[in-house]
Amino acid sequence: MYGMRWVWTTLYTQRPGAFGVSLQQMVTYGVLSMAIENLFYTGPQYYMARQVRSGAIDVDLLKPLDFHFHMLARSTGETLFRIIVMVLPAMLVGYYLLDLQLPATSQAGFLFAVAISLGYLVNFHLDFMLGSIGLVTLEVTSIDWAFHATARFFSGQLIPLWLFPGALGALAEVLPFRSIFSTPLSIYTGVLHGSAITQAIGLQLLWLIILLMLSRWLWGRVQTRIVSQGG
Amino acid sequence: MIQVEHLTKEYKRVLRREGFLGSVRTLFSAQYETIPAVNDLSFRIDEGELVGYIGPNGAGKSTSIKMLCGILVPTSGHVEVNGLIPHKERMKNTRQIGAVFGQKTQLWWDVPVIESLRLFRDIYKVPEAQYKHNLNLFNELLDLHEFQNTPVRQLSLGQRLRADMAAALLHNPRLLFLDEPMIGVDVVAKERLRNFIHEINRDQKVTILLTTHDMVDIEKVCSRIMIIDKGRIVYDGTLDQIRAQYGKQRKLVVEFEEETQDFSAPNATLVKSEGRKKWFAFNRFETSPSTLIADISSRYPILDLAVEEPEIEEIVRTIYQGKQETLATETK
Repeated sequence: MYGMRWVWTTLYTQRPGAFGVSLQQMVTYGVLSMAIENLFYTGPQYYMARQVRSGAIDVDLLKPLDFHFHMLARSTGETLFRIIVMVLPAMLVGYYLLDLQLPATSQAGFLFAVAISLGYLVNFHLDFMLGSIGLVTLEVTSIDWAFHATARFFSGQLIPLWLFPGALGALAEVLPFRSIFSTPLSIYTGVLHGSAITQAIGLQLLWLIILLMLSRWLWGRVQTRIVSQGG
Repeated sequence: MIQVEHLTKEYKRVLRREGFLGSVRTLFSAQYETIPAVNDLSFRIDEGELVGYIGPNGAGKSTSIKMLCGILVPTSGHVEVNGLIPHKERMKNTRQIGAVFGQKTQLWWDVPVIESLRLFRDIYKVPEAQYKHNLNLFNELLDLHEFQNTPVRQLSLGQRLRADMAAALLHNPRLLFLDEPMIGVDVVAKERLRNFIHEINRDQKVTILLTTHDMVDIEKVCSRIMIIDKGRIVYDGTLDQIRAQYGKQRKLVVEFEEETQDFSAPNATLVKSEGRKKWFAFNRFETSPSTLIADISSRYPILDLAVEEPEIEEIVRTIYQGKQETLATETK
């Protein structure tokens, strides 16, 4: 987080005004993105791959639970735990030591909470679909790595999307990945306001519905193909 | 309760080519071979039965049980469990069945046993009164209280299986699948589990399908056995029937006074020899043991004699080895 602040401060000293927002907004964006990224590492894909490789997926399916919601509950439980032990402490450190700003208005704070929850769900469904593919390929690490490298770039985690040039920026605007980092962080820092917020949250919702349906469909397909390993 | 008709489950396996270039070719044009794990399987189990389900490794026992649980989808054929088609209504089906897979636990690894059971109570929506009643029962029959506060990962195998058994029965299922539930447990723990299975079947009328490799389990608890091999039923009947049908062979064990090289006895074949002790196999309907003994003792001096009944294990071994036809014709 400190490194992030340092990078932006240096860049701002050299080219003030090149980035379209104030240094304080930019530092808040960067520091906060580091603080909240732990929320998004709780996807079920590794659990699913492990279960199917060891054959323990049998026991998951033996319970009268909808597998998709079962995974959502597992991941959300871990995310809540991470909020308490990792994200909140990081935000406190950021607030007291690194110029992390509070949201401009309480309304912005509330919308940030909504947007980050939606971002979490979008990220979960992407991971769930990766995991579903992993149930067939029995291997998820390399696909996961490649996928998340792309996803993180287009989510605006490191470089805010408004700095992307022309076509790349337009592409990033419509992909689902911006829901994860860019939308909540832009609401928090006040880069987005007014109807732009409604539009961005609307897009999150739209993607969430699409991904939810895709997840259900993919899981339905994959489930019939499960080959339990061992015993 | 269970109805299985012409059930088949095939697995596809990629045929890999040798070497590095072979691997690359496999990546682009894979060839598959189809392996039938379960092949045209049909059987019926009625309410209240306790059926032993046996067969060599890879015979298709676990695969068929997984289809009965709704975990695997059959390639073709019909499965019905208590009026439901398991893979079409997996969640509904899993509410009415219980299962213990000896090699896997359904409890949460890092959580104390009692917490796992509480979670099961919530998942299956078990009423509080029933939960308490069952917990008392498990304490009485399985001594659950001895380790209920221990995390599952720290339990001994015997304890873990007892805990798994309790978890499988907490919601009072009418049907219980036990897939090698006693694998690797010591004799004392085994005896307890056997008694428990027996009591659950007798007192609560739970229909049980038990998979095991231990013929003692079968002899002590099961009323009926089904033997499966290469995905098909090769025998289905009661224990008495199988003994009557295949157990026509008896063995006469003779210990001679002195070492003798060539032994012969009419209508009996030498099957085993250990120093001066010899085992002769004979058909008890063709040859009476007394004639045989009289014949042997008239020619050789004898120290000791015994007639052995075939053990169920041996019968099953014969069936596994595909010798059932020869045995059956021999004894006709």
